[in-house]
Amino acid sequence: MEIKAFTVGDLKTALLSADFWQTKTLPITKHRAISYSHNPRADNDDSVLLVAYQDSQVIGYLGILPDKIFVNDAVYKIGWLTSWWVDPSFATTGVGAILLFQALNAYQQKLGVSGGSKEARKVLDASQKFTALKTLKGLDIKFRLNVTGAILGKRPALKIFRVVFKIFDDMMDEIVNLRNFFWKRRNDICQGLTFEYISLIDEETGQFIQRHHQLDLTRKEKADLNWIMAYPWILSAPLKDSSGRRYYFSSRSNRFFYLGVKVFGQDSRMVGFFMLKVRDDRMSIVYSYCESQHALSIVAAVVYQALAMDVSALSLYDGQLVASFPELGCPYWSTKGISRGFSLSKALAEIPLTNYRLHGGDGDLAFY
Amino acid sequence: MLFNVIDELNELRPAEEHLEKNLMAPLIGDSGRLDSAALINLIVLTEQKTAEELGRPILLTDDRTMSQVKEVFGTLGNLAEYIQRLLSEKRDG
Repeated sequence: MEIKAFTVGDLKTALLSADFWQTKTLPITKHRAISYSHNPRADNDDSVLLVAYQDSQVIGYLGILPDKIFVNDAVYKIGWLTSWWVDPSFATTGVGAILLFQALNAYQQKLGVSGGSKEARKVLDASQKFTALKTLKGLDIKFRLNVTGAILGKRPALKIFRVVFKIFDDMMDEIVNLRNFFWKRRNDICQGLTFEYISLIDEETGQFIQRHHQLDLTRKEKADLNWIMAYPWILSAPLKDSSGRRYYFSSRSNRFFYLGVKVFGQDSRMVGFFMLKVRDDRMSIVYSYCESQHALSIVAAVVYQALAMDVSALSLYDGQLVASFPELGCPYWSTKGISRGFSLSKALAEIPLTNYRLHGGDGDLAFY
Repeated sequence: MLFNVIDELNELRPAEEHLEKNLMAPLIGDSGRLDSAALINLIVLTEQKTAEELGRPILLTDDRTMSQVKEVFGTLGNLAEYIQRLLSEKRDG
């Protein structure tokens, strides 16, 4: 077994090499490799991908997303673990452990974890090298029933009744449309707000974000959000392509896009900004910035976008927006609390983390 | 000391997956029984026990060890030999 560490520079070279893309299992997709190589927080010699090879075939890999965390005036370079996979037939070769420890060594033991599978959590807990940060609590709002997806997801054998479920969903959707129509007529939910859509962060937005991100753990800047929007890890595509079939993690969705939304008050002053992500029929707010007195207006703007984009569900992770949502009184089928876990390695334990803010897109979560 | 590690590791595992206290017992590899989480448990417990019982901490997660994982963690006997080597290197140098 051989472990190869790919730096940002190595990945740029790999993108031009035919051999790298010939293995039966791919350790990364091309568009993800392009994204890694444009990360504004990565240096050219940062290790971003560890690959375990056996007889020239990939048997495991671990991605690392270089980032910075900010506490008061101090900045710390860290790497977020991402896309950690081991071929199940090599599960007892220690390859998962080797990848983890090599990643820790490559980043002077300074790593972070956002989300993660049950298997990954088990390995991380066993290492005793990570401490949990506060859990990011959010709200999942279901605007549409989507019985078809829910039932067929759990019982694929009922596919023969798909048409029946679909008709039921269509009828329910009409009820939802009607409820939304009357709710919008009764309530001026946007209270004179105006929007501006952006696909890249402009100067005005960049400055607005800077004024509102002082407590953020990762203090995203214009360049960081532009990078996320310009270099997604998931592409909007109808079918899995040849590399998608050889890569274990998500690489495509029927519908996937980011959109920046600037929100202006009645006096045309910018009162908020949020970056939304739509993946199939779900919208998530990955980054949002506003003053607390405008939280209701911003959550109204978010809901307005969700209804206009006809998504079934909306995920919010901004505490101010979550708290303001009930005041809107908008129609929905159900809501439930959701959470996202973050951990930092114990080597970062000396950082005085007391009052900090996490976003729904922190770590690698903006990309999925 | 390593048998104490195996005792503690076995407490974390179902009875049918218990490791033998035998120096020839394979740990990882084709006939090994440790997945990544269990290997990490073994490493962490070994580092802790070495510090507690022998009073001399060792590091089993550095690049040097990771580059020869198959050999070091192939059997319990290999691990014992490697620990002995690390301890004598510390003593000598």
